[in-house]
Amino acid sequence: MLKVKNLSVAFGSYRALQDIELEINPGELVVLLGANGAGKSTLFRAISGLIRPSAGTIEYNGKTITGQPAHQVVRYGISQCPEGRQLFPMMSVEKNLLLGAYARRKDREGVRRSLRLVYDLFPILQEKGHLSAGSLSGGQQQMVAIGRALMSAPQLLLLDEPSIGLAPLVVKQMFETIQRINEAGTMVLLAEQNANMALKISHRGYVLENGRVVMHDKSEALAGNEEVKKAYIGG
Amino acid sequence: MDLFAQQLVNGLTLGSIYCLVALGLTLIYGIMEVPNFAHGHLYMVGAYVTFFAMTLYGLNYWLSALLAGVVLAVLGVLMERIVFHPLRHAPASNKFIAAVGAMMFLEALARVLWGSDFRSIPVIYDKVFTIGTLRITEQRLIVIIAAIFLMIALNLFLKKTIIGSSIEAMAQNRDGASLVGINVNNVAMLTFAIASILAAGAAALAGPIFLVFPSMGALIIMKAFVIIVIGGMGSIPGAVLGGYVLGITEAMGASYISTDYKDVVAFLVLILILTIKPTGIFAKGVR
Ligand SMILES: Nc1ncnc2c1ncn2[C@@H]1O[C@H](COP(=O)(O)OP(=O)(O)OP(=O)(O)O)[C@@H](O)[C@H]1O
Ligand SMILES: [Mg+2]
Repeated sequence: MLKVKNLSVAFGSYRALQDIELEINPGELVVLLGANGAGKSTLFRAISGLIRPSAGTIEYNGKTITGQPAHQVVRYGISQCPEGRQLFPMMSVEKNLLLGAYARRKDREGVRRSLRLVYDLFPILQEKGHLSAGSLSGGQQQMVAIGRALMSAPQLLLLDEPSIGLAPLVVKQMFETIQRINEAGTMVLLAEQNANMALKISHRGYVLENGRVVMHDKSEALAGNEEVKKAYIGG
Repeated sequence: MDLFAQQLVNGLTLGSIYCLVALGLTLIYGIMEVPNFAHGHLYMVGAYVTFFAMTLYGLNYWLSALLAGVVLAVLGVLMERIVFHPLRHAPASNKFIAAVGAMMFLEALARVLWGSDFRSIPVIYDKVFTIGTLRITEQRLIVIIAAIFLMIALNLFLKKTIIGSSIEAMAQNRDGASLVGINVNNVAMLTFAIASILAAGAAALAGPIFLVFPSMGALIIMKAFVIIVIGGMGSIPGAVLGGYVLGITEAMGASYISTDYKDVVAFLVLILILTIKPTGIFAKGVR
């Protein structure tokens, strides 16, 4: 399980995150709601070790991982599908996926199994396996990004706005897939601006505003909350 | 026609050397996003190592080349650690300055240690093949073939091995690479090692044809820089194509225009290509 305690991140004098308290328990799918600039990606980047927090700790399975570099964090079982996908655009889809398993490349059998799993989740990727990732449509690239994150066989998957820019029908499929990944035993932290569907599939949620957690509760409760409705569900 | 074929062979020889040096420069550019201007000076050190291994220690040509590769790999890694690693979060201009500093340091060091004399690596392979009126020396043939061999080996390493892929992954997306578990530090060192080995290879191959002297790196780095600009910064096929194009153009320019203008040709080609295609021939996607 993941425990974020008192976490703050600063860019120069700008405090992007302040005293964040957040946890994810085994089996949970947790949603992180927040408007543009609330600090969702910053929190993800801090958890993954892409940026160093200015204060606070991140604990994973009882071990403090604060300040560990990103290439190490993925080896602890935390994998991120980042904002903007961050694919290797000139490499084939399959190579992108295989590189997703870079940290466990010696486990050839396991890597093959993960690739099978990803192709089962996203059959279109197998069809497009030999095309360069950069040539795919936005939705398909998003699938590659999620697939790549899954290739490390994570226990905790961080998904930073995976539905952004996708057609409504594809968004629905995407959420179903995320739910399926979670039901198969992977903890998920999902950042979303579009709260409606995210709250339907998640167990709990946090609301981030200006770098602070302003609310956290069971998802049904958040979905029924007037402020949340007004700010994130639209109506 | 005879002259043309002869100059084509000369151009291919020169181009092979350019390719190897430019490939290293472009690989490093890919991960550092700054051209390492000291790369040509690694080439220079490679030439000296080969020279001394042969003349002082009597090693045979190929062992000397191998030794140059090993020494340069170590030197490349040291350069990455000492010069560029401390600047990894610094703005590009700082890295530029550091690269120029490393360049001046190596050149001065070479003058102090080895003097400013021109030397030449002994020619072992001095047979001359004649096909009609075309004359090819054995050494030039070796240059052309060995360069192709090295480039194929590099390509296989980058495309077929997962470790090699990590270099390209980092060049294409740094955050993406870190998130999948690629250690940015290791990749940086690996890339410098490989680029330096290619430079050593180029130097050992070119050594018996051209001269060895402390400032030999300055000229070749200008050429290699032109090549990667022509080919698209960071592009591997671009460096290969650009290397051959420049080598052949220079050889043709030397014989059809004037040897005096040989080195100007590179820059004319640069201006011409950038006028037609400002992003270079194989530009990486818009960043
Ligand atoms: N590297 C950085 N340097 C300076 N400021 C930054 C940096 N990264 C993020 N910020 C700032 O931190 C704040 C939070 O940004 P963040 O990207 O975490 O928001 P977000 O919740 O992910 O927003 P979005 O929904 O638009 O992705 C923003 O005001 C942003 O401008
Ligand atoms: Mg974001």
